[in-house]
Amino acid sequence: MKKNKKIFLMIAVCVLILTLPLYINNLYYLHIINLAGIYTLVTIGLNLLSGYTGQTSMGQAGFFAVGTYVSALMMMNFNFPFLVAIIIGTVATAACGLIISIPAMKLSGPYLVLATVGFGEITRLVLLNWTPVTKGAAGLTGIPYPEIFGLKITSEGQFFYLILIFVILGTYIAVRLAKSKIGRTFSAIREDDLAAEAMGVPVNYYKIAAFVISAMFAGLAGGLFGAFSGVASPDNFTFDDSVAFLCMSVIGGNRTILGGIVGAFVLTIISELLRVFQGTRLIIYGFILIFTVIYMPNGLVGIMDNIKKNYRKNNKINE
Amino acid sequence: MLQFILNGLPIGAIYALVALSYSFIYAASSVLNWAQGDMVMFGAYVGFTLYQVFNLGFTPALFISMAVVALVGVLIQYSILRPLRQRKAPPINVIIATLGVSIIIRNVALMIWGPDAQLLPSPVSTKPVATGILNITPQNILIVVVGLLLMIIFQYLLKQTKEGKALRAVAQDRYAAMIMGIDTERADRVAFAISAALGAAAGILIAPIFFITFNMGAGIGLKGFVAAVVGGLGSVPGSIAGGFFIGIIEAVVGGQISSGYRDAITFVLLILVLWLRPSGLFLKKKGQKV
Repeated sequence: MKKNKKIFLMIAVCVLILTLPLYINNLYYLHIINLAGIYTLVTIGLNLLSGYTGQTSMGQAGFFAVGTYVSALMMMNFNFPFLVAIIIGTVATAACGLIISIPAMKLSGPYLVLATVGFGEITRLVLLNWTPVTKGAAGLTGIPYPEIFGLKITSEGQFFYLILIFVILGTYIAVRLAKSKIGRTFSAIREDDLAAEAMGVPVNYYKIAAFVISAMFAGLAGGLFGAFSGVASPDNFTFDDSVAFLCMSVIGGNRTILGGIVGAFVLTIISELLRVFQGTRLIIYGFILIFTVIYMPNGLVGIMDNIKKNYRKNNKINE
Repeated sequence: MLQFILNGLPIGAIYALVALSYSFIYAASSVLNWAQGDMVMFGAYVGFTLYQVFNLGFTPALFISMAVVALVGVLIQYSILRPLRQRKAPPINVIIATLGVSIIIRNVALMIWGPDAQLLPSPVSTKPVATGILNITPQNILIVVVGLLLMIIFQYLLKQTKEGKALRAVAQDRYAAMIMGIDTERADRVAFAISAALGAAAGILIAPIFFITFNMGAGIGLKGFVAAVVGGLGSVPGSIAGGFFIGIIEAVVGGQISSGYRDAITFVLLILVLWLRPSGLFLKKKGQKV
C-alpha cells in the first residue's frame, strides 16, 4: 500500500513536470524556469566538486563562459550542428577544468577559493579583450537556434523540453556517479584527504577528475545557455555569477544532487520574486543567504530530511 | 620604468592595508571575510560625508570614519560570525555569510549615497610636482606616508597592548589560548574592528584619486586579497610586502605591456605563486602535521 502510494506520487510529479508548459501561459515565468534548469546543471556539477569532494570553487562562471562561447562560436563560424557544437564546447571546458585542476589540487581553503576566483576572472578578461574572436565587450549576438534532427527549437515551450532532457540526463549521470565507487572516494577525500591517501587512494587523480567533471557540467550548461538566450557577453559571466552558483549549491544543500536542483530553482525564483521590492531587493537577498547558512547549515534539503525524520518518529509513537 | 614603479607605490600601500585587514581576520579566526572590500567603500563614503556635509578636516574625518567602520566590523562578528562558530558551520557557509554581508553593505550604501560616483577633495594637491624626470604628486606621497604610519601604529598596538597580545596568542593557537583563559571571541572582535578600520583608512586615502562608488569594494577587495595570499595570508610583513608587490606589478604591466590584460596577468601570476609556493612568496614553507 505504502509503496503504491509512493509510485503514484512519483508518476503524478512526472506528469506535472512534463505538462508544465501547458499551464504556464506567461512566457516570462517559463523563461525563468528554463534559466533555472540551465543553472541546475551548473550546480549539480558544483555539488560533485565542492559538496562531495570538498573543493570549493568560486570560478564556476568561467567554465560556464567557456562552454557558452566555444559552442556558440562553433555554430556561428563553422556551421556545426547544435549537438556537435555543444559536445565540442563541453570537451573544451573539460580541458580548462584539467588545466586549473593542476595548481588547484595542491590547494585548500582560502587559497583554493582565490585560485578559482582567479581562473574565473582570467576567463572573463580574455573574453573582454580578445576582440577578433569574442567581439569584446559587445559579446556574441545572433547565436543560432538549436536544430536537432531537423527539428528547430525556437519557443520557450520547446526549450523547456530540450533543457528538461539535459537536466534529467545530467541528474542521472550525477546520481550514478555519486553512488558509485568514485562518489564514495570523493566523500572520503572531503572528510580527510590525508587518510584517504594513506588508504591507497590516488587523491590527486580524483581531485582532477572532480574538477573536470564539474567543468563539463558547467560547459554543457553554457552551450545550452548560448543557444537559449541567443546572445552572450562577458557581463553574463562575472564573479557575481560564480558567487550565485556557489550560493545555489550551498543553500540547496551541497552534499546531495537533489540539493543542487533545489538550490538552483529556489534561488533563481526567489531573486525574481524579490523584484517587487526594487531597491531593497538585494538587501533582502543578502539577509536570506545569511539566515539560511546560520539556521540551515545543510541547506534546504537538510531541513527536508529533518522534517521527514521527525514525521517518522511521530508515526512510530502513534503506532 | 622607474616612473611606473613610483606610480605603483600609492596603490601598493592601499593594497597592503587591505591585505593586512584580510590577514588579521584570517589569523585570528580562520575566516575569509568577503565583506572586507566593502569596508573600504563604506569608509570612503563615511569620510566623504564627514568631509563634505559636516565640514570636518581630513584628519578627524579619517579617524572618525575608521571608528565608525570598526563598529560595523564588530557588529558583523557579533551578529553573524559568532552564531556560525557556535554552530560549527563548515567554512563554505561562513564564506556565503560574508558574501551576504557584502551584498547588504553594498546595497545599503547605494540607498544612502546613490549610484553616482563621488570624489573626495584631496587635502593636498593632486597635481604632479615636476622633479626633473619623475612625476610625484603630493597626494600619492600622502597615501604612502599615512599608509605606512598606520601600519606601524597597528604593529605597535599588536606587540604592546594586552588586546594585541591576546590576538597574537589566538592567531598562534586558538585552542591553547582558550585554555589559558583568553577570551577568543573578544580577540575575534578586536581582529574584525582592526580590519574594518584599516579598510576604512584605505578607502579614505584612495578616495581623492579614485572615484567612490557603491561597488568599488569588489575590485579593491579582491586585489587586496590577492596581495595577502601572494605575500602570505596571516602574516603582517608578508601582507605588506604582497601589497606593494602587487601594486608595482600592476603599474608596470599596465604601463608597459597591456592595460586590458593587466588584471589577467596579475591573476596568472597569483595562480603561479599558489602553484609553486602555496604559503606565499615571502614566507617559509610549512609542513603538514597529521
